[in-house]
Amino acid sequence: MAEDKKVLLEVKDLKQHFPIDNGGIFKKQIGAIRAVDGVSFTVKEGETLGIVGESGCGKSTCIRSIAQLYKPTAGEVIFEGVDLCKADNKTLLKLRKDIQMIFQDPMASLDPRMTVRSIIAEPLNIYNRRGLLDHKWTVEEIENRVEILMEKVGLNKTFKNRYPHEFSGGQRQRIGIARALALNPKIILADEPVSALDVSIQAQILNLISDLQKEMGITFIFIAHDLAVIQHISDRVVVMYLGKVMEISKADELYNNPKHPYTTALLSAAPIPDPVKERSRKRIILSGDVPSPDKERKGCYFYDRCPHKMEKCSCNIPPMFDCGPDHQVACWLYEEK
Amino acid sequence: MLRKKEQTVNEFNQVVVGNSLTKEAWKRLKKNKMAVFGMVVVIIYAIISFSASFLPIYPYDESIIDHQHLRPSLTKTSGELMLEQQYKNLYFKAWRAGRLVLSEEENQMIEDLILKNETNKVWDYLYKEGESQREAGTFEFNSTEQKTIDKYVDKINTDIQITINNLYYLLDGKKTSLSKLDYDTLLDIYAKEIKADSALIETSLDKEIRSQVTNTVKASLTDATDEDITAAVDLEIENMSRKDWESKASDSIIGKLETSAKKTIEKKMKAQIAEGSVSFPFKGDIEINDHITAKAEVSLKHMRRYFLGTDYLGRDLLSRIIYGGQISIAIGLIGTITSVLIGILVGAVAGYRGGKIDYYLMRFVDIMYGLPYMLLVIICMAIFGRKIFNLFFALAMVSWLTIARMVRGQIMSLKNQEYVEAARSMGASTSHIILRHMVPNSLSVIIVYSTIRIPAFIMQESFLSFLGLGVQAPYASWGSLIGDGVASMTLYPWKLLCPSIAMIVFLFAMNFFGDGLRDAFDPQSKNQL
Repeated sequence: MAEDKKVLLEVKDLKQHFPIDNGGIFKKQIGAIRAVDGVSFTVKEGETLGIVGESGCGKSTCIRSIAQLYKPTAGEVIFEGVDLCKADNKTLLKLRKDIQMIFQDPMASLDPRMTVRSIIAEPLNIYNRRGLLDHKWTVEEIENRVEILMEKVGLNKTFKNRYPHEFSGGQRQRIGIARALALNPKIILADEPVSALDVSIQAQILNLISDLQKEMGITFIFIAHDLAVIQHISDRVVVMYLGKVMEISKADELYNNPKHPYTTALLSAAPIPDPVKERSRKRIILSGDVPSPDKERKGCYFYDRCPHKMEKCSCNIPPMFDCGPDHQVACWLYEEK
Repeated sequence: MLRKKEQTVNEFNQVVVGNSLTKEAWKRLKKNKMAVFGMVVVIIYAIISFSASFLPIYPYDESIIDHQHLRPSLTKTSGELMLEQQYKNLYFKAWRAGRLVLSEEENQMIEDLILKNETNKVWDYLYKEGESQREAGTFEFNSTEQKTIDKYVDKINTDIQITINNLYYLLDGKKTSLSKLDYDTLLDIYAKEIKADSALIETSLDKEIRSQVTNTVKASLTDATDEDITAAVDLEIENMSRKDWESKASDSIIGKLETSAKKTIEKKMKAQIAEGSVSFPFKGDIEINDHITAKAEVSLKHMRRYFLGTDYLGRDLLSRIIYGGQISIAIGLIGTITSVLIGILVGAVAGYRGGKIDYYLMRFVDIMYGLPYMLLVIICMAIFGRKIFNLFFALAMVSWLTIARMVRGQIMSLKNQEYVEAARSMGASTSHIILRHMVPNSLSVIIVYSTIRIPAFIMQESFLSFLGLGVQAPYASWGSLIGDGVASMTLYPWKLLCPSIAMIVFLFAMNFFGDGLRDAFDPQSKNQL
């Protein structure tokens, strides 16, 4: 379904290193945390790209770098033909209108001292004041827009004057979604939007997101560490480990036919909601811990823990090998295919 | 608070209002009785001291030499108090001369008291004894003493105080206020009044203005030579326009007419008092002569009541405490506001920008912290002169440090909040983020700190005034009043007690209020009242 659509966002060899200084007066840099270390993928218009991986693998950093909340160390983020990393502030502002974010903790992502109205209207006001909207919006227009958005995300519009702490978790996340929708963005970067909610609310929010997507044709990059959530919502999935992409594939393909040893291990860790199958489930136990991301790696990033490691893996970084339609794996096992 | 059209109504036609964090804090504050009490006291103080010029109190800088060191009294007028003091002195002298006879034990007791410097007790005891002996007929004043007392009573009954509100001149059959007339007419009138040549008057006015200018020049150029001063005066007078000169001359003429009018009124009033045909306080028009009428208030000087007594210059302590409170509270407020503004600015920049800017700003703050800051204030006052404005300036300059650090810490912790990231992802500018998100969210801490800061400022000001570096006479502040009071603590304890109590009550109230605010803004805080 998404093959013939055009590419909306392209990430090329994105790197985000955070410097470690020695704590002295002159802040001499003595190393770097390689949170994201060369990630490339594309997002097509209208699709949902899921990003999975264990904690600390650089998912959040990756999309914050895409949103230019951090200035990436290297690489390109091409959105509508413009490299965001090199764009000047003015272009960036114009493009940022089409890239909005939804955050993990709905309480923390809403300013506790603002009413729901001012929270949802904030992006509109910012862009209105800078004159970057199609015309100068009046107060009434913004007010109407806020009401429409609140209805769209399923909030009672009479709650406009309330404050975030007067809402439940799910309602807060709806406010966050309404805020992200305010500027009619083309792409929404959702940073674990459901992981702070309980399961029934998760389902509501996920359905809301997929409804909105169908209705408005918004592209999503969706982060979660819950594999079931990702399977439910994504068209394609990126599997990340230690700041590097391990596997990219269509969602069903990935779940039915995982190629990379890390993906298989990850999928085998997810419980199956069927006691009979669950008992017979074979788990792949990885040895050791995730290594620290502070040193430069010459070989496969998964080398330390891989059950299938080979001589070659220790000193050659595997490129992405095609192994099927829309299925790429970074593993030397699939080199010949 | 909300505009009408911004109100929202639910399906049951009820207005839906949100509860902001500030509103909830306010609710919690209202439950805290001590804090509400403190707040009310603070508000009362503020209202009283800032409406001081409208209150029916005596001017704070008007000194009546006869009224030195009067004790506080709710019932007795100053005249009665003065007479009482006179009696005490006379009884004491009589006791010394051996005419007021007391028992052996009493004499011994009084001697002891004198040795202990308890003058007030001696006076009080002798006054009580003397009065009772005079009533019993065992003691009488001799003729000289009686004469002194009669003279004194006469003085108390006839001393009047005249305030001229306005002078009117009968011009073409119409009463016109002198202040509205132009210089030439005034000169004519004055010349007619004193029957002198107007040219002569002009020369004397010119001399007068010259001496006025010389005085102001001398005050501003303290260490200039006489020639310099003469040169500066010449220059000043040359630069003075005719209009300025005329207005000064007019003022001087009106002043002279007022003085002469006062003399006439005094004569007339004395005569009327002797006849008993006037009642005080008198308020109305008094004819000075055929042409001039004065609108004046006349009151008996010694009918005044001093509820909190007077100081060593005979100034009303109550009005001095109120006006002193005005200055003390103003210093507390202005000092806090300036230091909060500077602190927020520096703290926000350091906290949000981080990196090198943060490093250098904070090291600067550290260095300022290291300096003994009272010394800094004293140096500032010494360099820039002892004016009230300089006091504000000096205190504000050294007191923004703590606020800056506190705000920096707050901003640094808020900087990583997700809503700030959300705002950045929406393309908000730095100033928008700081002003709309960070400052409002750290405001509760700032407010609490400010309310605790105000008493500290008042204390510092008082300390400086106590040392003589703060507010200069005739202005008063609580600190300078206490400083004055300490000097004569044993003889006139009210001069120390009254301003001290006024200040202590305010500081207590302010601290209770500040504590209440802290608890209200931070309900999890463990050290609640």
